[in-house]
Amino acid sequence: MAHITAGITSSHVPAIGAAIDLGKTDEDYWKPAFAGFDWTKEWIMKPENKPDVVILVYNDHASAFDMNLIPTFAIGCADEFQPADEGWGPRPVPVVKNHADLAWHIAQSCILDEFDMTIINKMDVDHGLTVPLSLMFGEPEAWPCKIIPLAVNVVTYPPPTGNRCYNLGRAIRDAVESFPEDLKVQVWGTGGMSHQLQGTRAGLINAEWDQKFLDDLSADPERLRTMPHIEYLREAGSEGIELVMWLIMRGALGDKVKELHRHYHVAASNTALGHIVLEPQD
Amino acid sequence: MKQDIHEYLAELEDIPGTRVYTTKRARKGYWVNQFAMSLMTKENRDRWRADEKAYLDEWPMTEEQKQALLDRDYDKLLDLGGNIYFLAKVFSTDRKSYLQAVSTMTGMSEEDYRNMMLSGGRSPEGLRSKSKGY
Repeated sequence: MAHITAGITSSHVPAIGAAIDLGKTDEDYWKPAFAGFDWTKEWIMKPENKPDVVILVYNDHASAFDMNLIPTFAIGCADEFQPADEGWGPRPVPVVKNHADLAWHIAQSCILDEFDMTIINKMDVDHGLTVPLSLMFGEPEAWPCKIIPLAVNVVTYPPPTGNRCYNLGRAIRDAVESFPEDLKVQVWGTGGMSHQLQGTRAGLINAEWDQKFLDDLSADPERLRTMPHIEYLREAGSEGIELVMWLIMRGALGDKVKELHRHYHVAASNTALGHIVLEPQD
Repeated sequence: MKQDIHEYLAELEDIPGTRVYTTKRARKGYWVNQFAMSLMTKENRDRWRADEKAYLDEWPMTEEQKQALLDRDYDKLLDLGGNIYFLAKVFSTDRKSYLQAVSTMTGMSEEDYRNMMLSGGRSPEGLRSKSKGY
């Protein structure tokens, strides 16, 4: 039987992808941002930890979805997905190979569980998905596991509530645990932490609020799942709303979790970079 | 559990220096954003670079929206319904980063903005709410 073995979160700042692709990770500006991923890179490739499949929760940044179609939750079900051309040409990263059997199984199971998922086959994946893969796995010839893309609308308001995201995580856990193949599955939540990319308030960072958010992923997930959107916006900036996606990861891990690793760095481009590794305890 | 939609939308307008991408803005900026999306292919980028105005005239936008795009006035484009993730296709085509484009909206130089980010970013103090002033 498949089971969820860990949850990982990470910001997905596009400039991080550019720094990796252009070989700038050793520059003074970037060194401290990347250093916090060394632990995870080693941990994740140990045989007991290495996932067979990652369910990668991210938001599409107007790459696969334009204003014509705005799905709240879209699960990628094709066999593979190409890196998107976001204006600079596609990132030179491997093709994303899906575990399509598990993806379709999750889609069916979640729909029966009253989560009306959008199923998508033809989709290019942007920095929201590929930057976390680069952070965790470096620059391999091929990604070392299968990846199920789960795109969440956090661009056009309203995005899903934190509670809805958390409950979707629970439904995903039930779906994974009813899949007959013996698989280690991780759920990753990406985006955040505090950042604002617009107007005179651009550059907002709230380290205290971010750290409390990281604390409460293990200490008080109830506070996070009931947090209204306006708090994310006021405290963590207009793009800080991406953090609702972390709650899908958290909901998938069950009631109790253990924090294995944490990294927080200001700033990566416009953004407070946050990263955590959690293990389910039940 | 369900929040009142009118209260929800009113709160979104209460944040200083922020235009949340509501459906009202999305409708206003539909063609600005769809135009920006079109720059995801090299062929369209080449056509845009060759003659920006001619390329813009293919899209049913207002003259004000077209002018703001020609001026790369991102702050104004947000007022006119643009969204930063769509507009990113325009500044990426110009070979500008998010940091460079975003800094133009702040009234700061790129260098000052970059230095502010390196020293911890902008504090939310006093910038959380227009009505409550905290």
